[in-house]
Amino acid sequence: MIRFEHVTKVYDQKSRPALDDIDVEINRGDFAFLVGASGSGKSTFIRLVLREDQASRGSVHVAGQNVAGIPNWRVPRMRRGIGVVFQDFRLLPNKDVFSNVAFAMQVIGKGRASIRSTVPEVLKTVGLEDKKRRMPHELSGGEQQRVAIARAIVNQPGILLADEPTGNLDPATSVGIMNILDKINQNGTTVVMATHDTDIVNSMRRRVIELDEGKLVRDEQAGEYTAMIPIVNRDGSRELRTADPRDQAIAPFDTEEDEA
Amino acid sequence: MRLAFILGEIGSGLRRNLSMVISVVLVTFISLTFVGAAALTQMQITQMKGFWYDKVEVAIFLCGDDYGSQTCADGAVTDSQRSAIKSQLDSAAVKPYVESYEYESQDQALEHFREQFKNSPIVDTVTADQLPESFRVKMVDPEKYDVINELFTPMKGVDTVIDQRDLLEKIFSVMNVASLVAVGIAVVMIFCAVLLVATTIRLSAFSRRRETGIMRLVGASKAVIQLPFVLEGVIAALIGAVLASGTLWAVVKYLIQGKLAIEYPDTAFIATNEVFLVAPGLLALGIVLAGVSSVLTLRRYLKV
Repeated sequence: MIRFEHVTKVYDQKSRPALDDIDVEINRGDFAFLVGASGSGKSTFIRLVLREDQASRGSVHVAGQNVAGIPNWRVPRMRRGIGVVFQDFRLLPNKDVFSNVAFAMQVIGKGRASIRSTVPEVLKTVGLEDKKRRMPHELSGGEQQRVAIARAIVNQPGILLADEPTGNLDPATSVGIMNILDKINQNGTTVVMATHDTDIVNSMRRRVIELDEGKLVRDEQAGEYTAMIPIVNRDGSRELRTADPRDQAIAPFDTEEDEA
Repeated sequence: MRLAFILGEIGSGLRRNLSMVISVVLVTFISLTFVGAAALTQMQITQMKGFWYDKVEVAIFLCGDDYGSQTCADGAVTDSQRSAIKSQLDSAAVKPYVESYEYESQDQALEHFREQFKNSPIVDTVTADQLPESFRVKMVDPEKYDVINELFTPMKGVDTVIDQRDLLEKIFSVMNVASLVAVGIAVVMIFCAVLLVATTIRLSAFSRRRETGIMRLVGASKAVIQLPFVLEGVIAALIGAVLASGTLWAVVKYLIQGKLAIEYPDTAFIATNEVFLVAPGLLALGIVLAGVSSVLTLRRYLKV
């Protein structure tokens, strides 16, 4: 479903590549954790899959297509096959739950009838069937993230990319989110989740792809993630890191980067 | 569905940016009014040219007592001089240029004068011997005025030869300058309008960056993302163009047709159907200006 063939991504010629000769394949129906410290290349990985950026060398294949060969005007169509979930939810604050999910269908031209039948079904999948008229600010963090997941899967993408989906949530709520992602995966959707959360990785026992300074250092089928990556820096110093939304693959829509 | 959705997006965009949208409407309104006014002035000039050039004549004014010019040094025109001029007009050299001519005596001149200035008190103070007698020559081709001028100006008993077109040209040149000024103002205002549309679109794109960010990620096409912004600018400009057309129509209908045309019945004026010729141009201009400037702005400020 996602195949990287010797992919190198260089943002700036002077510094080291963000991704260095990555060769990995994620199959249809896989559930893969993408782990590694900040700056290890997780975000670049996700951006390359979404074709937000293009590989400097090597090729990225998504759903059997080499993304470098997709003309710009076809990129939106390719992105319809990929759902994305963020750490900071990114819901539209002036639309209720139903409309937030329906928005993803409206903008790709789905009909009113299909929206009316699909959205409640998806909201049921994420367990929000009785909150569809709530506004985002009336929901808890876990509920907001579930709305975001519903929006990501409402167009039935083959791939779901989750960029630190539990980063802003407490452990108990995170479990609920993981159950939903697992359920989506069991329905046949390929799920790739970038995370710092060791507990989740260890308890899920799914495939783990670990990146370090742009290199693939580990690819295990039922892996664990034990390195205390959020806490220990490379020089040995210890530090507690809080999740920073700016580390996300797709910067929040209200930052400066969006205006550039 | 998609259409309803895009219309909804446009509606919310217009509402969120109401003050900017109003300023776009007003600026396009003013600039297109000037464009239209310039076009209508040109039409008025063409209209008047067609109307007057059929009627203009070359006037050969004859000498009266104590006229200043050299050829009048001997005093008023004599009978023999008058008939010499007349036979010159009939001669083979002049004949091909002249369609017809008419002699106007001092009494007839006074009569025409009175008719022309019947509303003015000056009529009562003018007497026949203050007005020169003249030959009114209608040319086959009014451009050949120089031939008549050269032949008759040196003749004894001729005071001056006047081409009435010269008088009209003066009016037309004033009108031309007026329409050029209107075009100049229009150019500046259009420039303002383009910049204002660009700023409005930029603001609008900024205030809707969450929506557009999500649209990008769920794979909305470029057209669906950009169209609401472009149409926002186009609609505002279109309203401006409609207001401009309406204003021009009102001016022509009530000021020109309703007032000037009644006061000066022997002059040709433009009518409202000329406005209907200009209006589609104004609408198209408004659409093109707003469309182009918003597309260019989006290319810069809205990543798709």
